[in-house]
Amino acid sequence: MDKSELLQHYSHQFNNDLEQIRSAVLAMGGLIEQQLEKAIEALRSAEVEQAEMVVANDYKVNAFDVDIDERCTKILALRQPTASDLRLVLTVIKTTADLERIGDEAKRVARMAIRTGSSDPGRNLYLRIEHLGSQVRQMLHRTLDSFARMDVDEAIEVAHEDRKIDREYESIMRQSMTYMMEDPRSIPLLMDIIWSARALERIGDRCCNICEYVIYFVKGKDVRHTSLEQIQKEFGE
Amino acid sequence: MRNSWVEEFWRLLFVLLLAAIAGLLSGYFLLAVCLALLAYIARNLYNLQRLISWLSQPDRASVPVHFGIWGGIYAMVERMRSAHSQRERRLSDLLGQFQASAAALPDAAIALGPMGDIRWFNDAAQQMLGLRRPLDLGQPLVNLFRTPELVQYLRARDFSQALEVTAPGNRSRKLSIRVTHYGDGQLLLLAQDVTERYLSEQIRKDFVANVSHELRTPLTVISGFVENMQIDEASVPQQWRKPLDLIADQAERMRHIVEDLLLLARLESASKESPREPIDVSELCRGITREAQALAGERLQIEVQIASDFGLAGDPVQIRSAFTNLVVNAVNHTPAGGHISLKWRDEGSSSCFEVADDGEGIAPEHIPRLTERFYRVDVGRSRERGGTGLGLAIVKHVLQKHGAALEIESAIGEGSRFTCRFPAHRRISMSA
Repeated sequence: MDKSELLQHYSHQFNNDLEQIRSAVLAMGGLIEQQLEKAIEALRSAEVEQAEMVVANDYKVNAFDVDIDERCTKILALRQPTASDLRLVLTVIKTTADLERIGDEAKRVARMAIRTGSSDPGRNLYLRIEHLGSQVRQMLHRTLDSFARMDVDEAIEVAHEDRKIDREYESIMRQSMTYMMEDPRSIPLLMDIIWSARALERIGDRCCNICEYVIYFVKGKDVRHTSLEQIQKEFGE
Repeated sequence: MRNSWVEEFWRLLFVLLLAAIAGLLSGYFLLAVCLALLAYIARNLYNLQRLISWLSQPDRASVPVHFGIWGGIYAMVERMRSAHSQRERRLSDLLGQFQASAAALPDAAIALGPMGDIRWFNDAAQQMLGLRRPLDLGQPLVNLFRTPELVQYLRARDFSQALEVTAPGNRSRKLSIRVTHYGDGQLLLLAQDVTERYLSEQIRKDFVANVSHELRTPLTVISGFVENMQIDEASVPQQWRKPLDLIADQAERMRHIVEDLLLLARLESASKESPREPIDVSELCRGITREAQALAGERLQIEVQIASDFGLAGDPVQIRSAFTNLVVNAVNHTPAGGHISLKWRDEGSSSCFEVADDGEGIAPEHIPRLTERFYRVDVGRSRERGGTGLGLAIVKHVLQKHGAALEIESAIGEGSRFTCRFPAHRRISMSA
C-alpha cells in the first residue's frame, strides 16, 4: 500500500473525501498538540489563565471528534470502501478516538495546574514532570508526523519511546512516595503531581496505540497485541 | 525550401527526359514514361518510410537524404529539434540558478499548490520545519505543520498580515509567516525566524512593566507624606508651603504617568481581543460630558449628541478610559470660549464616537505620530497642562482590542476631530 494506490480512484470525489478525513485528523492532532503544550506550560509556570484556556478549548476537540466520526460514517455508508480504503477509514476512526482521549488527559493536566496555582514545594518533582511532559509532547508530535507520512519505521521508533516514558513515570511515582512518607503534609500536593504524571503517561500509551494503527494501515496487519520485538522482527527495515 | 522544390523539379524533369529518350529509342514511349513515373513514386514512398523511421529513432549524426524536398524536410526538422533543445537547456539553467538561490535563502520558502499541497521547498524549510525530500512532496502542508493558527490562516486566505507562530517541534523559536499568491492559484509561503526580535520585545515589555511597578511604591510613600504635611499647615514654615504644593503636583503627575504606563503594559500583554460586556454608550457619553464640563468650568462649552440606539460589547473600563482621554485632550487643547462636541452616531455598518473641538488644530506632519508614546506637538505647552503623553497611545490600544479604528482630522486654527469607528460585530442593541 503506497500513496499512488491511494490516488487511483475512479471517483475523484471519493479521493477527496479520504484526503479530507486524513487532514481533519491531523488538524485535530495539531489542536491537541497545542492544548498539551499549553497545559504543560501552565503547570510549569503556574499561569492559571493559560490553563483555563485549555479547559475552555476542549469543546473544539470534541467538535472535531463528532465531525470526523460523521464523515467516516458517511463514507462507510455511501462508498462501502474495501481493502486499503477501508483500513484508512478504520484507522481514522480509531485514531480520532485516541486523540480525543489525549485531549481529555491534557485537560486534566490543565486542571491540575489551576489547582496547584503558584505553590512551590516539591520543586524537584515539578522539574521531572516538566521533563516527562516534553518527552510526551515530542512523542505526540512524532506520532502525528508518522501518521501524516504513513511512515512505519517512524511509528515503530516512536512506540519504542513509550518505554522511556513508562520508566520516567515509575520513577516519579517512587520519588513522590518517598516525599509523602517524609512529610505527610505534602500529600495533597503530591497527589496532584501523581495525577498529572499519570495523565501524561496515559497520553504516551495512546500515542503508542496510534502508531499501531499506522502500522496496521500500511502493512495490513493488526499489531495491537503483538510485542514490540515481534513487530520489529516482522517489519524491521 | 524553395530551393528544394526547384531541385526536385529538375530531378523529375531529368528522369522524364531519360524516360522519353529511352521511350523514343525503344518505341514504347508511353510505357517508358509510365515506368519512369512509377519509379519516381516508389522512390518517394521509400523516402517517406525513411523519414518516418528517422523521426522515431532520431540519430542526429546521419541525415539520410540531403537532396530535394526530402532533404529540405530533414533540414527543417533538424532546425526545430536544435532550437527546442537549446530552449530546454536555457530553461534548465535558469531553473538550476533559481533553485541554487532559493536554497541559499536564510528564510524557509515553500511553494504550495491551490489545494495547499507542497510543491517545492528549500533547505531552510527542511531545517526549520522538519520537512523531508522527496517524501513530503504532494502532502498538504497543514498535515505536517499542524499549528491551529496556521491552519486557520491558510483557510481564511487573508494574507494581508503576517502570522506569528511558535515553530512546530521547537517551541523556543518563533516564526513570522507570510504568504503570497502567484502563478495559477499557487501560494508561496515564507517563514522567517523572529525569535530574537520576539525576545527583545518581551524584555522591553517586561522592563517597562517592572519599572512602573517598582516606581509605584516610592511614589505612594512620597505623595502620602506630602499630603500629610499639606494638611498639617501649622507645622510647615511659610517659605516651604508653595514648594510643598509643587512637590505634591509633580508627585501626582508621576503617579499618573506610572498608572498609564502600567495600563498600557497590561493592554499589550493581555489577549488580542477584549471581553464582551454590554456598555451603554449614551449613558457613558453623558457622564463623561458632565465630568468634562466640571473640569473646564466656565471656560468652554461642551455638548453631547446621541444619534444612535446601539451600545457596545467590550471592556467598560477600557472604553471609558479611551473616551475620557479623548475628551480631556480636547479640553486641554481648546482655548477659552471654544466649543467641544461629543457625538455617538451610526455610519453604515459601523458606529462612531466622535470628539470635535474648535481649538488650535494640529499640523498635518504631526498627525501620523500622534499616537506614539510621549509624542508631543508642542513640548512646553502640553507638559504644562499636565498631560502624560500616553493618552492617545492608550486610546489606540483600547480601540485595537475592540476591532475599532481611530481617525484623526485636523486643521490649524480650525480645530480637530477624533473619531473612534467601531465595527458591526461590537455593536449591541440597547432595546432592553
